[in-house]
Parts: sequence; structure tokens; C-alpha cells
Amino acid sequence: MQWWVLFQKELVENSRNMKWVWVPLIMILIAVIDPLTNYYLPQIIEATGGLPDGTQIQLPEYQPSDVVMMSLGQFSTVGVAVIALISMGTIAGERKSGVSELVLVKPVSYGNYITAKWASNALLVLVSFALGMLASWYYINLLFGELSFGALLQVLVFYGLWYLLVVSLSIFYNTIFKIPGLIAFLTIATVGLISIVTSIFSHVLAWSPSRISTYIQQMIITERVPYDLTWAAIVAGIMIVLLLIASVMIFRKKEMAD
Amino acid sequence: MSLLSANGLTKIYDHHTAVNDVSFQFGAGKCIALIGPNGAGKTTTLRMLSGLIKPTSGTIHYAAKKKNADIRGLIGYLPQHPVFFKWMSGKEFLMYAGRLAHLSKEEAHKRSEQLLDRVGLSDAANKKIGKYSGGMKQRLGIAQALIHQPKLLMLDEPVSSLDPIGRREILTLLEELKQEITVLFSTHILSDADEVSDELLLLHEGSIVESGSMSDLREKYQTAKIELGFEGDLIPYREKINSLDSVTNVCLDRSVLHVTVHDIDTARDAILAAASTERWPITSFSVSRTSLEDMFMKAVNN
Repeated sequence: MQWWVLFQKELVENSRNMKWVWVPLIMILIAVIDPLTNYYLPQIIEATGGLPDGTQIQLPEYQPSDVVMMSLGQFSTVGVAVIALISMGTIAGERKSGVSELVLVKPVSYGNYITAKWASNALLVLVSFALGMLASWYYINLLFGELSFGALLQVLVFYGLWYLLVVSLSIFYNTIFKIPGLIAFLTIATVGLISIVTSIFSHVLAWSPSRISTYIQQMIITERVPYDLTWAAIVAGIMIVLLLIASVMIFRKKEMAD
Repeated sequence: MSLLSANGLTKIYDHHTAVNDVSFQFGAGKCIALIGPNGAGKTTTLRMLSGLIKPTSGTIHYAAKKKNADIRGLIGYLPQHPVFFKWMSGKEFLMYAGRLAHLSKEEAHKRSEQLLDRVGLSDAANKKIGKYSGGMKQRLGIAQALIHQPKLLMLDEPVSSLDPIGRREILTLLEELKQEITVLFSTHILSDADEVSDELLLLHEGSIVESGSMSDLREKYQTAKIELGFEGDLIPYREKINSLDSVTNVCLDRSVLHVTVHDIDTARDAILAAASTERWPITSFSVSRTSLEDMFMKAVNN
């Protein structure tokens, strides 16, 4: 099957260029850095010279939901940048170098080509994100308090959808532009724009996918999936499908050589 | 029945017309050379035929194409500067190309082995393409173009960037391949076209200025030429020769007179007779036929 051949090639490429090593590692780092620094803050202050005598500092008692939010906070900034960087050249780079001229002169379906690119990037991102959250979950249970595995799975599913949307945006820009740097910039800028617009018009944009992380906190505290979260997830799903359809349509109209 | 016919192919980029109303057709089993200087529209034409870019207007018809089939399955294409995945080995790339063209794993494996052997890359089959030389990449490029047994092999400037050894290898390979498959290749090196092709398409500034078989073109543009070398000043002889029988034109080029003639025998006798009675200080005398270059220049100037 042609799709599988294209997908497999991406997997092999990403393992030979070590992306399957460093992306999971960086995602784990992103996930645990805030929980650990917050937990060890007193010791860190002590080790760096301490505070003047008599200073009183009150460190908040973190709940597991707060700690999940620390991890997601990093994922929504640094994590998005990492996704943009690893996927910025996935199609654009091949077109720029000219290797796509050899690939696309074979009877390759553009739909297969785009969706295989999307799926391979999505898989790398989701697996790395899941490993990161797993590390975060380990420290939460060790240092802050109990968080059920079921709750972790829910976080993975909902936040994973948001990440899939970021990957889809990057693929979309990949079909339009040939400059990887520009694609990374536009992906990050679009994600930022969605967040800003959502926070300005939060009362009407309750189902904006960028609110998924806010609802996740509610979900952990109340131990129920909020109504708005379900809808935000559905909106994210629809946007992903639309972006993919648009990507294939744009790519079909593109000239594969210039 | 022609294998491929193109009608009124035109490609316009912004305000620049790369290919202008080009029509041609050719049958199966031929080797056709697309000749023209750089910028004549050769690459654009090949890219349109391969489906990589869409013509602004005009049609391309492949006789072997079944309804709704993808024409790319019938074509093997090698771009002018093929770029591969550097991290793949030669064999991995051939397998990949074959599987993309819907070969089964077993078929792709078999064809890859055959073609690696065919293009002389068996020893480098498992070497990373990043370590291949220019000639090896070009041979791998031809192998990947042939992997799915296409009806038409299109090669864009397959030898232009190679050193003399690499050039020779590819030309020999082409010579063999044209026994089995229709080959269309572009080149600006006229002697390469002369060597391997049966038919020529001369492209100049986006239009076809001449086409036909090698022998037809020879007949049409062929004129005989005599080159005469003299000791010392050769200006006085120029007028004398010009008045001889059958001579149409004499031009001066450093120490050689190029004499264009109607009939080679009459002119030769006349010149040699005059030379011996008047004791001309001739240093060289040679009869030559017009080269492909001359032919090309004539076709372009018409």
C-alpha cells in the first residue's frame, strides 16, 4: 500500500536523524522542569545562599491539578515551538531541496503524501508528549499527591487533540510555502493569535480549542469532563479535518517544480 | 500510432513565455533528442510532459494511457539535478521509488537488484547516497526512472554535468536502453544528440525551430565545405576562389579560408587546378561536412 510506504519512510527518516530520540527527551524535560523546580524551591534558595534572616516566605501547597497545569503551561509555549521546529520542513524541505521532484513524478496520490506526512509527525509529537506527561505524572504522585491514571489518560486525549491541531497547522503552511523558517513562524504566530483572540472574546469563544488546557484543570478538580471541553475537542477535530482537506487541495494545485 | 503527442503546449510564467505553442509527436521505440541552448524551454517542456507542472494551454496525449489512469505510471523521469534522500542507500531509494509506483515488495526488490546491476551500482547498493559521486547519482537516477518499467523514459540533461568518464558511461547506457524503451532526452551538447538519437527536436526561445530525423536534417542543411590553409597573406586568394566554379561563399577565419560549395567534386578540381598552375602556397586542404552546430545555427537563423 502506497500510504504505508510513504508513512514508513517518514518513520525511518525520523529515527535515522535521531528525532525519535531528542523529541521525546525534550518533551520529558518540558514536562518535569516546572513541577521539580517548584517542589525543590526551598532547597534551591538555600543552596544559592538563602534569604536574609527573618524573611518569611510562604510557598503555596500545590494540588495535583496545579502541577498538571505547570506541565501544560510549558507544553503550550515551548512545546508548540518544538512542534513547529520539527515539522517546519517536512514538505517544504523536500520541495526546496528538489527531492520531491523525484517522489511526485511517480504515481503518488497527493492525499496519501500529505496524510502520511501528517500522521508521521503526529505520531512523533503524540508519543513524545505522552512520555513527557507520564514523567510529570510520576513526579506528581511521588511529590505532590495522587492523580489517577484515568485522569492522566484524559489529559493525554484532550491536550493531544490540541497538539494535533498544531501539527495540522504546520502541515497546512507546509503545502503553501517553501521556506521552513517562515512555516515555523506562521505556525507559532497562528497558535498565539488563536489564544489571544480566545482570551479577548472568551465569553463567545467558549469552545475555542485553545481553552482545552483551562478546561483540563476543571476536569481534574471536578473529576468530570466539562461540557465545554467536549465541544472544544469537537471543534478542534473539525478544524484538523478542514486543515487537512485544504492542505491536499492546495497541494494538488501546486506546481511540483519551478 | 504515436506514443506521445503534444499539441500547442504553452507555458507562461508571469510575463515570461518559457514554452510557446510547441507541438510534436513521436512513436514508440525511438530515441528523441530535445536540443537547444540553455533557457530554450527544454526543462519546462519535459516537466509538462511528466506532469510536474501544468501547461498554461495545450494538450498532451499518451496513446498508452488508459481512462482515468495516472500518466505518471507510464513515465520514468530524471530531472536535471536529481536530489535523493542522502540518508537512504541506493537500494533503499530504488525500493522506495518502486513501491511508490505500486510494485509489490518482492517485485520492487527484484527490479532494484536488476537495475543496480544494470547501471553498475551493485557494489554501492548499500552505501548511503550522500556518499555517491555525481556519475553514480546520475546512474541511480536512471535506475529509479526505470524501476516501474515505464513506456517512456525522459531524461533532462543527463550528461551535461558529468566528467568525460561519467558522460561516456551514461551515453553507452542510453545506447543500450534505446533498444528497449522510448527515450526522450534533452541536451545542449549537440554531439551527444548526434551520437545516440534517431530524431531531433530543435528548441529555441520556447519554440520548435526544426524537427526530423537525423538523416532528413542532414540532407536539408548539409552543405559541403572546403577549408584551405595558406602561408602568408591569404586575402588575394579570397577573390580568386570566389570566382571559381560551384563556389558559393568564401569566408576568412585567421589563417584558414572556409569555402562553401555547391558541388564538392567540381569545386575541388577547380581549386586544385588553380593552385597548381598559379603555385599557391597551400599548407592544408580539407573537405568537411557541416556539423550539427552549423545546422543548428542555420535553423535558428531561418
